[in-house]
Amino acid sequence: MSATTSTRPPVRRVAPARWAKDNLFATPFNALLTLIFAPLVAVVAWWFLRFLAVRARWEIVETNLTLYIVGAFPRDQLWRLWLSLAILAVVFGLIGGLVGATTREAAIAAGRPLTTTRWDRVARLGPPALLLVSLLGFARTFTPFVLTAGVVALGVATSLLARRLPGAVRRSVPLIAVLGIVVALFAISGFGGVPRSAWGGLLITMYYTIGALVISYPLGILFALGRRSSLPMVRWVCGAYVEFFRGSPLITLLFTGWLVLPFFLPADFSTPTLVTRALTIFILFTSAYVAEIVRGGLQAVGRGQWEAAQALGLSPWKQTRLIVLPQALRAVIPGLVGQAISLFKDTTLVLIIGQQDLLAIAQNVTKQDEFLGKGYIIESLVFVGIVYWVASYWLSKESQRLEVRLGVGQR
Amino acid sequence: MEESNVDEGRTTDARSLTSKALVAGGTGEVMIEISNVEKWYGDFQALNGVDLVVGRQETVVVAGPSGSGKSTLIRCINRLEQHDRGRIIVDGTELSDDLKDIQEIRRETGMVFQSFNLFPHLTILENITLAPRHVRRRPRGEADELGMRLLERVRIPEQAHKYPGQLSGGQQQRAAIARSLAMEPKVMLFDEPTSALDPEMIKEVLDTMEELAASGMTMICVTHEMGFARHVADRVVFMSDGGIVEVDDPESIFANPKEERTKLFLSQVL
Repeated sequence: MSATTSTRPPVRRVAPARWAKDNLFATPFNALLTLIFAPLVAVVAWWFLRFLAVRARWEIVETNLTLYIVGAFPRDQLWRLWLSLAILAVVFGLIGGLVGATTREAAIAAGRPLTTTRWDRVARLGPPALLLVSLLGFARTFTPFVLTAGVVALGVATSLLARRLPGAVRRSVPLIAVLGIVVALFAISGFGGVPRSAWGGLLITMYYTIGALVISYPLGILFALGRRSSLPMVRWVCGAYVEFFRGSPLITLLFTGWLVLPFFLPADFSTPTLVTRALTIFILFTSAYVAEIVRGGLQAVGRGQWEAAQALGLSPWKQTRLIVLPQALRAVIPGLVGQAISLFKDTTLVLIIGQQDLLAIAQNVTKQDEFLGKGYIIESLVFVGIVYWVASYWLSKESQRLEVRLGVGQR
Repeated sequence: MEESNVDEGRTTDARSLTSKALVAGGTGEVMIEISNVEKWYGDFQALNGVDLVVGRQETVVVAGPSGSGKSTLIRCINRLEQHDRGRIIVDGTELSDDLKDIQEIRRETGMVFQSFNLFPHLTILENITLAPRHVRRRPRGEADELGMRLLERVRIPEQAHKYPGQLSGGQQQRAAIARSLAMEPKVMLFDEPTSALDPEMIKEVLDTMEELAASGMTMICVTHEMGFARHVADRVVFMSDGGIVEVDDPESIFANPKEERTKLFLSQVL
């Protein structure tokens, strides 16, 4: 071989002028597009930033920040929310720390290089930090800052602690996590707390989103498997379910849950609260979509995988659970996350059945005497829009990370 | 059977075919008994009354042109395909519609596929320990130990923690063999194990198979590797159009094929 044997691939460096020529002015048509759209993008960006920093009258958000976040939740009970957040910080700190530790240990045991760099870890904190800034940036007192810092510190401390946990405790973490989430819910509504009907704003939005996600995704997977069942009855029922809920507009279903359902329930059956009914509708609706996404994933798993699993003597249930489902779900992560984001935004429809979610609050605050008829709706909607966008962006970023870690498309 | 009755002039050959197909080789004990098996795909008959007995520790190579039913035959043995008529008995258990019998036979029967079919979401070691852990219910440490022993046996222990996509074809196929061996099967079925491999990788897989045969495994191999058949097989089964045409020991069938179709096929592949 030649004398100059390289141990690393050559680094390609491109001068900025060269980059601009290759990417922005490669052809006359390309140059034309650049000349039209570059000023346009600049103008829109300038206009938007100037609005955010200078022109916007944020006092509507500053005055009503608590209202945006919790709605009509009794103010003397807010400590329950902070307590609940603290419990959740412990739970997610525990999970996060443990997942990180096990991945690291597995990588070291297998002699694989650690794939996350320090920069990755910092970049990962970007979206949640942005969310915190866009909420806390409007706080008028120090209390929220102090409490938020406390909750974050608690989460970080638990995640560091989780790395040192002995194996026996580690195995019980899923159970601890489920228990923790239940306790966190109870801390708000139980023990003489605040019933769900009094929840509002971002709180009820998150309740609908997370509650529907947690239940509808497993349900959707079951329906997807059911549609491929060898039993015709199961196949037929699952197919009918999916087609019905996928074919009905969500608004219609919400109206049905709101107005029609109580008429059909037996008289001695106490009608569930409106919040429960709405949550149920979201679950039924979302699980139908999830079922179709997962079914697509199941079809992408080759026949050879089933055959290899069969040939090893795995039971039909284990063939599905250990071999086919993991591959099917990995293949459809983008679709599943898309559906989650879609659900998050669809929860705004509860506005039309009289629920005070984040979007409803954004409209209602403009009717306060102080702000009525002065066009504050723009500031209010921009604020809420940013909150929705940052949260969705966070979810999307995390899903990309998950894809990289599971090696989707590579193995 | 129909096959040989069509041509009256071949009755003596048919009788010798019958006797040679039905005499268990190896230790002489019967391991697999296939009698009068038929398989239909719609109106197309893929197997037309196949009879074959395989003895314990015997290596049988099944050869023949594509579409002759070789793969279908061995896929019927572990019920990846369901035969429509006849009987298949593996180590005393008859294949029936009862899932228990099917699972029993699948636990005793390893299979290696043309396209490897390793599980891409699991590491090589996890691929191997999956069945011992979840079918045989071995504890993890014990299964890992077994897995590493098998990987050393197929000479790729350094690949244990990689994913299938990071291995060469030959390494993947050897991992697939190790995965099947992890269930400690009594029979191994090979469905064209080297057909998807580059020439330089075929040898490493065939060497592994040869060692396996030498260790006393009962094996049925569908393959186009006539060198392997010549050196390793106890008997060679030649199939054509869904039936067995000729069965003989490798020396006789390669040196002195009796049937025209066998001669024609061998003249094309040798």
